[in-house]
Amino acid sequence: MVAEHERSLEVVDIPINMGPQHPSTHGVFRMVLMVDGEKCVDVIPHIGYMHRGGEKLMEAMDFRQGIGYCDRTEYLAQFSAELAYVMAVERLMDVQVPERAEYIRVILTELNRLSSHFMFMGAFGIDSGVFGTSFTYAFPQREYLQELFEEVSGDRLMYAYFRVGGLAWEVTDNFVQRCHEVLKHTQQGIRDIDELLTKNEIFIGRCQGIGAFTAEQAIANGLSGPMLRASGVPWDLRKDEPYSVYDRFNFEIPVGNYGDVYDRYLVRLEEMRQSVSIVEQALEQLPAEGPIVAEKLPRRLRTPPGEVYAKVESPRGEWGVYLVSKGGDKPYRLKMRSPSFCNLSALREMCLNQFLADAVMILGSMDIVLCCVDR
Amino acid sequence: MIGIMRSMALVMKVALTRKPVTIQYPEVHREIPNRDRAFPILIWDEEHDEPFCTGCHACERACPVECMTVVMKDNPKHAAGESKRRKIIDEFWIDYARCMRCNICVEVCNFEAIGMNNTWAGHELSRYDRKDLVMDVEMLLSQSKDGKVDPGLRA
Amino acid sequence: MLLAAPAIDIDQPFVNAALGLIAFTLVMTVGVMYATWYERKIVARMQYRLGPTRTGPFGLLQPIADTFKLLTKEDLRPATADFVAFELAVFLIFIPALMVFVAVPFTADWFISAIPLSLLYILAVSGLSFIGFLLAGWGSDSKYALLGGMRAAAQLISYEVPLIMAMVGVVMVTGTVDAYQMILYQDTVPLIVWQPLGFMIFLIASIAEVERPPFDIPTGESEVAGGVFIEYSGIRWSMFQLSSYVNMYAFALLGAFVFMGGWEWPFGTDVGWGLQLLLTVVKMSLFIVFYLWVRASFPRLRPDQLMSYAWKVLIPFSLAQIFFNGFIIVYDLPDVAYLISSGLLTVGLGYSAIFIVRRGEPRKPLQMVPARATARKPEPEPAVVAAAEGAAT
Repeated sequence: MVAEHERSLEVVDIPINMGPQHPSTHGVFRMVLMVDGEKCVDVIPHIGYMHRGGEKLMEAMDFRQGIGYCDRTEYLAQFSAELAYVMAVERLMDVQVPERAEYIRVILTELNRLSSHFMFMGAFGIDSGVFGTSFTYAFPQREYLQELFEEVSGDRLMYAYFRVGGLAWEVTDNFVQRCHEVLKHTQQGIRDIDELLTKNEIFIGRCQGIGAFTAEQAIANGLSGPMLRASGVPWDLRKDEPYSVYDRFNFEIPVGNYGDVYDRYLVRLEEMRQSVSIVEQALEQLPAEGPIVAEKLPRRLRTPPGEVYAKVESPRGEWGVYLVSKGGDKPYRLKMRSPSFCNLSALREMCLNQFLADAVMILGSMDIVLCCVDR
Repeated sequence: MIGIMRSMALVMKVALTRKPVTIQYPEVHREIPNRDRAFPILIWDEEHDEPFCTGCHACERACPVECMTVVMKDNPKHAAGESKRRKIIDEFWIDYARCMRCNICVEVCNFEAIGMNNTWAGHELSRYDRKDLVMDVEMLLSQSKDGKVDPGLRA
Repeated sequence: MLLAAPAIDIDQPFVNAALGLIAFTLVMTVGVMYATWYERKIVARMQYRLGPTRTGPFGLLQPIADTFKLLTKEDLRPATADFVAFELAVFLIFIPALMVFVAVPFTADWFISAIPLSLLYILAVSGLSFIGFLLAGWGSDSKYALLGGMRAAAQLISYEVPLIMAMVGVVMVTGTVDAYQMILYQDTVPLIVWQPLGFMIFLIASIAEVERPPFDIPTGESEVAGGVFIEYSGIRWSMFQLSSYVNMYAFALLGAFVFMGGWEWPFGTDVGWGLQLLLTVVKMSLFIVFYLWVRASFPRLRPDQLMSYAWKVLIPFSLAQIFFNGFIIVYDLPDVAYLISSGLLTVGLGYSAIFIVRRGEPRKPLQMVPARATARKPEPEPAVVAAAEGAAT
């Protein structure tokens, strides 16, 4: 018989329940970390706290009503989500979108990418332990973007601005000038974040070599967006399968070498600079006049029966909308391919044998949106 | 070490040279753009001294969250010859707690009778009871009657 | 403090010290309350914010409002918590934090008790608090608290060593462990000039000892969500916070009189107590502003990096300093030799910070894939896949 004191010396891994209420799980995400001291030996993610049945709800909504729901699914890259949805319907209906509308869509989507990446920079800084400074350096600049979106679309968060065949209404008169103003602030924000974090040795020490994924692993796990590019795969839908008018801009795709947390941060930072350049090019090429909604659209949108998959490069990766229609004004089936969900699936593999503190950084570097994970 | 110094220098630079961006909210209200979408309200027709809304149910049908209830009646003023509208709203409820501010009701309205509130009053709507967020026709019209809303909300 | 000042001349060292402590606790409590205020104000300005503005002019009444809020909060104790450990931990952290001040000279006349071995006493007492952290971590019966407690114990013990080593260097230069004598030694040149390395090590280790960012690992908000404090609320939590601020004051004061010359430098002993107190407060404030500045700038270290930084960098460097100091003393070299040796080591310390956090070979920069190189021509929009009859059902 084993003596009591001998049994009590047994070393066990303790489960640590992180979330659903935890400062750094970015929403109601829960992961159970089995830790051996400070090392994670197992990670069990639990999702679904935010599940609202969005896809099913959208099946009960017609093609205009559904747009508002796209915003609510991906609340940091609303324009990307809207764009994927309206592109899916447009392809099904074979609608030609006017050029001016396409340019405005691209401008807004790229600005939205900037605002989303600002959010990432702020939140990631906080995950790494900066006392809110990264957040407050990113957010005043993000606020200018937000104000621009509000001026154009009328709302700060739930824009509902894209429509099938174009845009809901014309942009403001001083849109181009306002964009240039906002870009100045944005560039300052990028500089600030760059100076605060990129070269900081403590930040480097916290980020480098953490959660490294090779290109093969990244592809096998279905990663996309900055996560995939950080691992060394130069795959960007804006360039490889250009949609909208992305083929008319000259921009570069930053690709990482190591696939670790630091590369993901750098890729996103560089992507912000590229987005600024895309917006500037788009503002130059933007036709001054022209329709913003496709002509001859019926008042009530009806699609022919068929199915379509439309995908866009959202700030988090490939945002896809798979739409099946049996005719009529509502989708028969709608599936959203959310990059947050697919990226999150790599969490366990990345966190294994990393420190508890690193698990937080890895989760932060995924830049997940929980609404988008759970839908 | 140099990176650490640079971070510290930036932080001190911000503290010394840049102004805080805080807006002291309840006292100071940020100017909100003309297109701001708060919650839908009904617009008052000054000319005929009645609402524009004829109660045609278009918005009610188009609403994705079904937050509206419209009841139509015969317009007494039409019978008296003061107005061209044959029908007019009798009752109109919008549940602001359900509304998702998608602007679709404004787009489908044929009479420009409904608009999105673009004042701060449309945002500062906290109530102690969610029942108080169900607005009836008087409440929906009151802002427009007082002339506080720019009705040309959409270009 | 006034009660305890030698002017009153109560010929009872124990009573004297006790009265002094009570008076001092009250003064310190108010002082700490306002430390939170100016911490919030200063950090806010570093972050484009205003800090508290609602309570009174410039939010000056904010600490009082906070205190009332904390004191009237429900005092919760987890049902499974170890009662003794849980309750005791608060005091084991709070009391040593205050006890440090017994031996600290504020001006030439103002101190609670003149202990000949005051530096030794201060270091010994300030090293006690880790027991409280361990107890709090264990007694809370929460895994976050346990992790936090373990981290706190490891960190406090590890950083105690370089801190004391840095002090040993100072003691070798001045030849005394009495804080009073140490201050008198600095009447012309403060010790920061002779011992820059000791000062740097003290600065880094003291941040770790008071558990402020970037060394706030035991309470790391984004990882262990408050660490040891996670189960505490109301008055107990506020006592933890109080003691962490008191600790910050204590180390700021220690730094002020060990390295900056306390009330002595640069005006000498013969200025009135008012100016001396002002000097002490100003020097202390410099330290505190530095702590806040650091807090706003840096990410948090990882526990293993924290440990390796203490054991692989700070301790070897502080040992080297002790060695050089001994060399200088034995061969009776002029004081400038302290400056040269210590200054060179400080430069080395700055470089070593890079090596400890940056592992391996230098990284390649990001590859930039130009758009035109791999971009395909836009494919025609995929045509609608007309569903076969009933295929979608």
